[in-house]
Amino acid sequence: MQRQEIVERVKKVVAQVLKINDQISDNSNFIFDLGADSMQSLLLVAAFQEEFGIDMEEDQALQVQTVSDAVDFIAAIINR
Amino acid sequence: MPHPNRAKKRDFDSIFYPQSIAVVGANKVTGTVPHDILVNILKSDFQGIVYPVSPREKSIGGLKAFKYVSDISDPIDLAVIVFPSSVVHMALEQCGQKGVKSAVIISAGFKEVGGEGIMRENQLREIADKYGISFIGPNCLGVINTDPRVKLDASFARKMPQEGTIGFLSQSGALCTAVLDYAQAKHIGFSKFVSFGNKADITEIDLLNYLRDDPKTRVILIYLEEISDGRALLQTAQEIISKTGKPILAIKSGRTAEGASAAASHTGSLVGSDEVIDAAFRQVGIIRCWDIEEMFNKAIAMAYQPLPHGNRIAIVTNAGGPGVLTTDATIKEGLRLAAFSETTTDILGKSLPKTANIKNPVDVIGDARADRYHIAVSQVLNDPQVDGVFVILTPQSMTDIEAIAREICSVAGQSEKPLYTSFMGENDVAQGISILQRNQIPHYILPESMPKAFNAAFRFHKQSKAKIVDHGDSCESPHAANARAILDEAVRAGRHILLEDEATPLLALYGLPVLKNGVASSAEEAAVLAKKIGFPVAMKILSTDIVHKFDVKGVHLDIRDEERALQSYHALLTEVSRLRPDAEIKGVLVSPMIPKGEEVILGVKRDPAFGPVIMFGLGGIFVELFRDVQIRVAPVNLDMATEMIHQIQSAGILTGSRGRIPRDIESIAHCLTAMSRMAIECPQIKELDINPLIVGIEKQSSHIADAKIML
Repeated sequence: MQRQEIVERVKKVVAQVLKINDQISDNSNFIFDLGADSMQSLLLVAAFQEEFGIDMEEDQALQVQTVSDAVDFIAAIINR
Repeated sequence: MPHPNRAKKRDFDSIFYPQSIAVVGANKVTGTVPHDILVNILKSDFQGIVYPVSPREKSIGGLKAFKYVSDISDPIDLAVIVFPSSVVHMALEQCGQKGVKSAVIISAGFKEVGGEGIMRENQLREIADKYGISFIGPNCLGVINTDPRVKLDASFARKMPQEGTIGFLSQSGALCTAVLDYAQAKHIGFSKFVSFGNKADITEIDLLNYLRDDPKTRVILIYLEEISDGRALLQTAQEIISKTGKPILAIKSGRTAEGASAAASHTGSLVGSDEVIDAAFRQVGIIRCWDIEEMFNKAIAMAYQPLPHGNRIAIVTNAGGPGVLTTDATIKEGLRLAAFSETTTDILGKSLPKTANIKNPVDVIGDARADRYHIAVSQVLNDPQVDGVFVILTPQSMTDIEAIAREICSVAGQSEKPLYTSFMGENDVAQGISILQRNQIPHYILPESMPKAFNAAFRFHKQSKAKIVDHGDSCESPHAANARAILDEAVRAGRHILLEDEATPLLALYGLPVLKNGVASSAEEAAVLAKKIGFPVAMKILSTDIVHKFDVKGVHLDIRDEERALQSYHALLTEVSRLRPDAEIKGVLVSPMIPKGEEVILGVKRDPAFGPVIMFGLGGIFVELFRDVQIRVAPVNLDMATEMIHQIQSAGILTGSRGRIPRDIESIAHCLTAMSRMAIECPQIKELDINPLIVGIEKQSSHIADAKIML
C-alpha cells in the first residue's frame, strides 16, 4: 500500500473517531492538538485495526502520538 | 533529582497571586481532574481572569476556550497544566514561548513511575530553565490561596478551606484532601495550601522560604516523604524560626531502618536515617509530629494563641476526675501546676461556692454555669504566677455549654496568655466546641492533649529565642589536606576500612587523643614493641573482618612482661582463627594500657540527606541495650557537644551524680568538635567509630582505646 493512501485513510479514521472537522495535519498530536482522551485513544487503535485489517499491539500502539507516527506504525505492520 | 542549587528567580506572586490563569488541557467531563480544577477556580471566586485551554472545546463553563495557550492574546501569569504526562512538555514549551511566568503541573506519570517518567520530568526541568518558568509539581493536587485579594483554588480538592493563618505544604496530594476534610470539620483555616508533588522545580525549601515572608502565615506545617537536601532544609528552617518566630511542624513519613542492620560500625548501627531526622529536626526547632491529629493539636495552639512564656499551668474544671487526669498529664509533660497568688485565692474563695476547690486545679463544681467559669478563668488568667490556662467542661443537666463557650472566648480574647479547652463528650458539647473553634480557641477532645500542645508551644518559644548557632571559624584545619591525601590514597587502593593502626595517625592530625601503638606480625615483634611502649600493654587482633574483637577473644589486656606478650600473641591468633576461621588477620596491635575511666562512644555517619552526623553515647550496656545516644548534624561546636553529653539519659555517670567522681567532660566535648571538623573536611569518611574513648577524671585525661574509619 502506498504511504499516501495510508495517510489519507488514517486522517479519515481520526476525523471519524474524534469527530473533528478541522484540518488534520501530519504532525497533529492526538492529545495535544486533537484533544483525544484515554478512551478515544483506545477507540482510535481499534478503528485503525479495523480499517487496515491488521493486529496492533495495544501498549505499543498507545505510545503513538501523532498522525505521521501512526502512519509509520501501520505501514510497518502492513509491509512486514 | 531536584536541583536545589539552581539559581532561578522565583516569581511566587504569579503562583499565589496570579491575575490571569490558563487551565491547559481543560475539558467538559465532570468528575475528571481537568474539568474539576477549572470548576474549583471558578467556584472559589477567583479575583483574576481564567482562560480554559482545550484542543477540542470552543467553550467550557461559559468561558471561551482556546486551542492553544499561544492563542490567548492577554498575558498569562500562571498555567495550570492538566494534560496527560506524554504531552505536558509540549504544553510547557508553549507556555514558555507565550511568556507564562509560572506553572502548576498537576499531571502524574513522571518520576514516581520510574523509567520514561524520569526522562519526562527531566525534560520539563530543561524547558522550564530555558524559559525561566518556575513550576510546582508534577504529580500534585494543586495550590490554594485563601487570601481574599485573590481567592485561588487551583486544585482538585473537594472544597476550598476557610481563611486562616496556617500554611500547609505536602508532598502527598492524597493526604491533602484528607487534611482539608479534617480541618474543615474543626473550623481550621489555612493561609496557603500547597501540594508540591515530585518537587521537580520548586522544592519544599523554596516554599518554606516563601511562607517565611508571607504575612498571612503564622504557623507552617509540612508533610515530607523524601528529604533531598537535608542541610538546606535545616538552614532554612533555622532562619525561619529564629528570624520570624514562625513554628514549623513536620511529619516525615517512611520510617526505615535502612542501612542500620548491616552496618559495619557501632555508629552505623545506632544511627538510622530516622534517628538522624529526629535529631536534625530537634536541633533547629522543627517540631516533628507522628500523625495528622498531633500536628493539628499543636498547630492550633500556636496559630490561635500567644506562645507561652512560662510553664506554670492553671486548670479550671467542673469535674474532679478530668481535673486530676489533666494534672497528671501536665506534670508528665514537665510542666508545673501554678501556685496561685493570695489575691487569686481570696477572690476565688469569696466568689465560688464553699464546696469548690479554690486551689489548682480549680474545681468550679458540676453545677457551674457561665458566670462561675467567667470568674474562675479570668481570675487565674490574670494571676502573674500563671503562664497558661486549661479549661475543662463536662456536660451536666444544668451546664449552659454554649454560654460557657462564649464566656471563655470573651475572657481569652482579653488576655495575652494562652488558654486551651477541652469540652468532654460528643453530641451535647458539639455546639459549644463549634463556638470555641470558630473563635480560634484551641479545643481538644481529650484533656490530656492540652499539656502536650502547651509543652510543644512552650519549648518552641524557648528555642525560637535562642540565637542561631555560631559554628566557629570556617578556616580549614592545618592538616586537612594531608588527611584527605591519605584517605584519597586508601580509596584509590580500594580500601573500605581503616583499622586502629591506620586510623590513629589520621585522628592525631585533628588533635584527638590517640595512643602510640604499633603492629606486630610475630610474637617476637610483639614482645619488642611492648617493651618499647612500656608495660603494661594491651594487645588486640587487627582484622577488617572482625567488628567486635571481644566476641572472638581478640583482646588481651594488662600484659605486664615480655613472656606474657609472647604468649598473648600466640593465644590471640589461635583463638581468633578458631572462632573466625574466615577472617583475614592483619596482625596484632600493641598499645599502652590506659588508666581506668568511663567508656564512651563517639561516632560519625554520613547521612545521604543531612551529610555528616555526630553521635555520642556512654559505652557498654548503655549504648548496646538502651541506645542511649545523642545525635547532631555537623558542624558541632563546643556548646553543642557539651549539650550532647549532658542530654544522654545516663549523663549522671559522667557528671558525678550520687557520689560518683565527675569525669573530664570538656575533653569529650573537644573530641566531638574535632571529629565533627574531620567529618566535614574529609568527605571520604563514611563512618567513624571511636569506641571506646576512656574518660578520666583529670583535665586532658581522655584516651582513644580503639577507632576505625569506614570509607
